[in-house]
Amino acid sequence: MKFNRPKLPALLLCLAALACSSSCTGAKNEADDPARVRVGIVFDIGGKDDRSFNAAAFEGVKRAERELGVVLRDVEPGNPTSIEPAMRAFAERGYDLVIGVGFAQAPIMEIVAKDYPHINFAIVDGVSQLPNVASLVFKEHQGSYLVGMIAARTTKTGKLGFVGGMDIPLIHRFATGYEEGAKAVNPNISVYRNFVGVTDSAWNNPGKGKELALSQIGKGADVIFTAAGNSGLGAFDAVEQAGKGADGRATHYVIGVDSNQNMVKPGYVLTSMVKRVDNAVYDIVNDVKNKRFQGGVHVFGLDKDGVAFSLDQYNQSLIDPSILQEVEAARQKIIKGEIQVTDAMAK
Amino acid sequence: MKLLRELFFPLVAVLAAFVLGGIFVWIIGDNPFETYRLLIGSAFSWPDGIGYTLFYATPLIFTGLAVAVAFRCGLLNIGAEGQLYVAAFATAWVGIKFGGTVVDVFGTPVNYSWVTLPAVLLVPLAIVTAIVAGAAWGAIPGVLKARFGSHEVINTIMLNFIAIALVSYFTQYHFKQAGDPILQTVPVGAGVHLPRLGSFIPGLPTRIPLNLAFLFALVACVLVYIFLWRTKWGYAIRATGANPTAAEYGGISTGKQIVLAMAVSGALAGMVAVNEVLGYRYRYYDGFSANYGFTGIAVALLGRNHPVGVLLSALLFGMLIRGGIFVDAFSGKVSKDLVEVLQAIVILFVACEALFRGSFGRFGLLKRSKV
Repeated sequence: MKFNRPKLPALLLCLAALACSSSCTGAKNEADDPARVRVGIVFDIGGKDDRSFNAAAFEGVKRAERELGVVLRDVEPGNPTSIEPAMRAFAERGYDLVIGVGFAQAPIMEIVAKDYPHINFAIVDGVSQLPNVASLVFKEHQGSYLVGMIAARTTKTGKLGFVGGMDIPLIHRFATGYEEGAKAVNPNISVYRNFVGVTDSAWNNPGKGKELALSQIGKGADVIFTAAGNSGLGAFDAVEQAGKGADGRATHYVIGVDSNQNMVKPGYVLTSMVKRVDNAVYDIVNDVKNKRFQGGVHVFGLDKDGVAFSLDQYNQSLIDPSILQEVEAARQKIIKGEIQVTDAMAK
Repeated sequence: MKLLRELFFPLVAVLAAFVLGGIFVWIIGDNPFETYRLLIGSAFSWPDGIGYTLFYATPLIFTGLAVAVAFRCGLLNIGAEGQLYVAAFATAWVGIKFGGTVVDVFGTPVNYSWVTLPAVLLVPLAIVTAIVAGAAWGAIPGVLKARFGSHEVINTIMLNFIAIALVSYFTQYHFKQAGDPILQTVPVGAGVHLPRLGSFIPGLPTRIPLNLAFLFALVACVLVYIFLWRTKWGYAIRATGANPTAAEYGGISTGKQIVLAMAVSGALAGMVAVNEVLGYRYRYYDGFSANYGFTGIAVALLGRNHPVGVLLSALLFGMLIRGGIFVDAFSGKVSKDLVEVLQAIVILFVACEALFRGSFGRFGLLKRSKV
């Protein structure tokens, strides 16, 4: 095939040049305003719209931007190779705080933070010993204990399911807490544990998540707790597929994680084990703004509402008030230290 | 004059891409001039900008050359990605098994080695391993093509999946430290680390991962030129690429040339491992390649399958990768996808060169040249 239309490309170029020259009016770039506190956040591979973990972090920094008047810039790396350059980009520009979201960023932040000792860093879910890094970690086992209790009170079969994302110690912390909570209510209960995979992609495989949930349902489980990022949404589909009974209530329930996921499939979501990543991130920005940033490990447990279970109009009718009383009592006991929940990550 | 003619078209393509990209930026609602100032300014600032631009360009020079060599033989090597994965793992394996004591992710010293080799032996051994592993993986589709006539595009794509899955498997079940949540091997010994250029160049901090591999990449450009145009093997490869029937008739065994070209191509792709494993991460890290193998196809296409062109277009792509991060982070509305848009438009323009040849050819600016 032969093209011979000389005028078209030339015309396009002229048009482009014209359009370009007429658009020179732009707002002043606030990204480099040194008078304000500047915060850069680097999300996990899932991206800021994952309705779960990253979304919670984004919520926190957005609130800080609104209420504290800080300059906020974010990067969604998309692949693991651009995490380090993104952190460095903020550090090179002399940002006041660089936040990394997710345990996978901890070793990278360790390297970058060493090169920029005068800049503050914060890592969610990871731990670093450097003085200029604040490690924001959560007592997921405590929150999981409470939802485990709710699950054990709700189940009719005496069998529960757990669908984890990647098979790593952090996720075992959810599973162990969940199981202990359930067994505290009823020692005869059995919990099926399954993991989606062993690589990063385990967080983003809803198909496999659904398969695992369906197989657990097949074995008799009727409440399934997910801690699997985007893969967990597969379990939501699975319980919806299992349908509703004659009384109009769902026969199987799912428990969401990280963000409040009750509204994802109303009626099927028993509750969500929320990790208040948003509060933790907001607080650290506030600390930087008020010049009282401190490195080291910041732990968020039940006491500071760092972890909790969600209760709203979508699941109020699903949980009996007597269960709530019992769970609240356990919550107080955990805070006081009367109940010790096993931390699967503690050595 | 010939060189100018060769350069003219890619330059037009790049300029046109920037103009069109500017329109997109303007439609999105940002100022195109500010955005480009951010993009180019961050890519050429000293020392971080230039250091990182060259660092990102290094793997693309290797993969660009890899694709170019195969293309000169009439083959499309889509498998550079798989070849560099295999090479990276093999290189890390050498570094683990012969590198001596290392400090693991929990900060305790461990020794995984059979023997500890001194750096003078270890570094060349690791580099040779990268080359051999890449060449071997590249030669497989070459043999399949030469022996059975099965198409190299299909085979290289399929071998990518096999390579990446295989390497992840070995990493996960045999070379990962227990308890490490990240899919990566244990670190390689310190003896196998390539020095960073910051140790030689004043003003360039050593935190910038630009390393000796960049110089290897420049040498590779020269060697590929000599190989293709100054040796009889190169002649045979080019003859096979230009017209296999005529080459066969002229006494060249085209089957051998296909295997040779694919092996050389794979070896060049394998050199990416030297940059990534020996010069930057000091371990095999799952997902370390930001599609270098596939971007290499674009680099070779824009560089007209010539080492000089490959070098220049790899620098351009390196600049875009570096600048893209800053555009993503600091511009108001534009995301780093702008860079992908720019790359795509460049490729589009280069690909429909015939359209332009019609209009510019009339003024004698472009003549159909040999591919």
